[in-house]
Amino acid sequence: MVYTKKSPALFIIGIIMLAIWYMADSGMLAPFIEHLAAGKKYKYGAELTSIPLYFGIIAVVIGAWQWFGTHTEGNWDYYSSTIAGGMFILLIAMLVRWFIAPEVAVISMAMGKVGDTGKYIHKLLGLNYVVLGILTGIVIVNVFKVPDWAQNGVRLSRLGLKTGVILLGTLYSAAELKNLGGLSIIMIGFFVLGSVGMVLWMGARRNIPNSMGGVLSAGMGVCGVSATVAAAPVVQAKSVEIAYTIGTILLWGVGCMFVFPIVGNVLGMSHVQFGAWAGTGILNSAQVAGAALAYQPDGIETLKVAEIFNITRVLVLPIIVLWLAMWYVKREEGSEQVNVGRVIFEKFPVFVLGFILMFALSTTGIFAPANHYKGKYFGNTPEQGFKEKNLLKDDDIALLQAEADKVQRADRKAALQRLLENRKIMSIDDDTAIRGLVNAKVLSKKANKILKHAHKAVRHTAKKIKAFRKWITWLFAFGLVGLGMQITVRAMKQAGGQPAVIGGVVGLTKAVLSLVVVLMLVSETI
Amino acid sequence: MNSVNHVLLASHGTEGAMAAERLALEMCSKGAKLHHLIVVPTFWEGMTGDDWLNNGSTRDTFRRYLEDELGREVDEHCERVSRHAEEKELEYTNEIVVGEPDECLINSCRKEEYDLVIMGSPRPKGKKGLRSRMKPESLMRTLDVPLLIVPYPSK
Repeated sequence: MVYTKKSPALFIIGIIMLAIWYMADSGMLAPFIEHLAAGKKYKYGAELTSIPLYFGIIAVVIGAWQWFGTHTEGNWDYYSSTIAGGMFILLIAMLVRWFIAPEVAVISMAMGKVGDTGKYIHKLLGLNYVVLGILTGIVIVNVFKVPDWAQNGVRLSRLGLKTGVILLGTLYSAAELKNLGGLSIIMIGFFVLGSVGMVLWMGARRNIPNSMGGVLSAGMGVCGVSATVAAAPVVQAKSVEIAYTIGTILLWGVGCMFVFPIVGNVLGMSHVQFGAWAGTGILNSAQVAGAALAYQPDGIETLKVAEIFNITRVLVLPIIVLWLAMWYVKREEGSEQVNVGRVIFEKFPVFVLGFILMFALSTTGIFAPANHYKGKYFGNTPEQGFKEKNLLKDDDIALLQAEADKVQRADRKAALQRLLENRKIMSIDDDTAIRGLVNAKVLSKKANKILKHAHKAVRHTAKKIKAFRKWITWLFAFGLVGLGMQITVRAMKQAGGQPAVIGGVVGLTKAVLSLVVVLMLVSETI
Repeated sequence: MNSVNHVLLASHGTEGAMAAERLALEMCSKGAKLHHLIVVPTFWEGMTGDDWLNNGSTRDTFRRYLEDELGREVDEHCERVSRHAEEKELEYTNEIVVGEPDECLINSCRKEEYDLVIMGSPRPKGKKGLRSRMKPESLMRTLDVPLLIVPYPSK
């Protein structure tokens, strides 16, 4: 079978991308961009004048070949058939990120702030490019249907998310990973086992079949549809049980993706707290990523926390599937014996190894100095990125010297002294002490400003890490738009039966309890 | 009751559809042709939903398992209708297609000439079951064959 469609679609997508680039680069879009910026600096100017050009050229060239060329069966044909769909998703992600989401923000700001929340409606509802991208994907598949030429490419979106998670490995410091990993193991361990147990307990009381209890507990407890897909064959779930379970989880997951950011905004949760809550309370792993990016669209701190929770969940998945298989065999006569090694081998998420590898590489200093924290590192020599023009000026030194007596703590006093002697901060410890001094507001505003400047001068963002952040944002946007195109209302409509009742109770309990635990036990920073 | 010689029975094993089966078997005269149409609804295609964590092998296992399950259910259903048709000495054939139920029925009617199309009523509100229904309106507008909708069986 030849998979590549002889269609002008990819060529047209390329032309649209090039037209966007041309209009942005030539200034034709300037009035519209000014309108979208709403008096501020338009954030995506650099992207708009580069990304559509590169991808537009690729799409036009390959699109022309797909349209006019001859195609024969083979591996290349299959890979080639995914390009049109991939570019289709990318085009939608571009349009949503650069134009639709900013337009929604402009409209929302024109409507004014909501009540006494002090926030605009788009901020409150998390209506940013990620959520709008997923919504666009859902609308496309349910209203217009994904065109035939895009089908194979849409499936490729999973690869985008997995690659995003792998690259995310570069952004963690060892301390962060240790702290977040420990927290996620405790939270996920408690809530996964708790919800699996609760589903099985409720199932037994409501006399549902073991197969239904098994598949539902995996879905509700571990990672939503992914766990259902992994567990269904093992517990020999009936087709109707699968449909009920997946329908319930999809409906619940999509609902959570919108509700969680609203609750997070109303409660003023920190990025760490929200990431931990979404990572625990939202059933479906894709919607965890969606909610995290919805909560913090222009940064990835929330996503980093949420993804550690996702990774912990997916690592728990083979264990839970194995356990459910054994549980099922014990209860059902004639069911197949479990091959432990095979279950672990088949269900092991290989992409997590990629994440670990990227993290390990990152600790060697290949992407940023090994002592980096959240991609930022200390450096006070020109080789490390320090600029001589940032040395303290005579006026600055005079002002700081005049106020030096106000500093009482010995470590801060010593750090300030070294700063005055060398005109720059000399060590990480000194930097920490100086930041503490600024936060303590002991000195005058002017003096604090000088100290802040001195701090910024020795803190640098690694270029590679900066690039990874951009890539990760795009990979997640790409993946989530594509996943949106795979969420059908018809599948969601199958939510029903006992899974809807049990799932509703367990899902709500998990969401509320995990919120309480996060607010009580998780600190605002890691 | 009048007997018919070539009937298209649209049934997928639900209670309403089984009522249609019983009436179809009753209405067919000895030696009549009974063509059984089973539609596997397209919502099953979206059943891997937004899963992205699993690897290809796990998804393939799931798809194969789901296909086998659906196949087994369809086989059991066909076997039951076939057995009853055989008892009544009817010529039984079946057709299993994936698609929208009403579109598939209309397509099937275009391929053959039938005396009558028989199908069950939609499930009453509150009754459990998967949500995939024939749209009677589109059938009534398009079909040029008499259509018999059998009432849902009472308790």
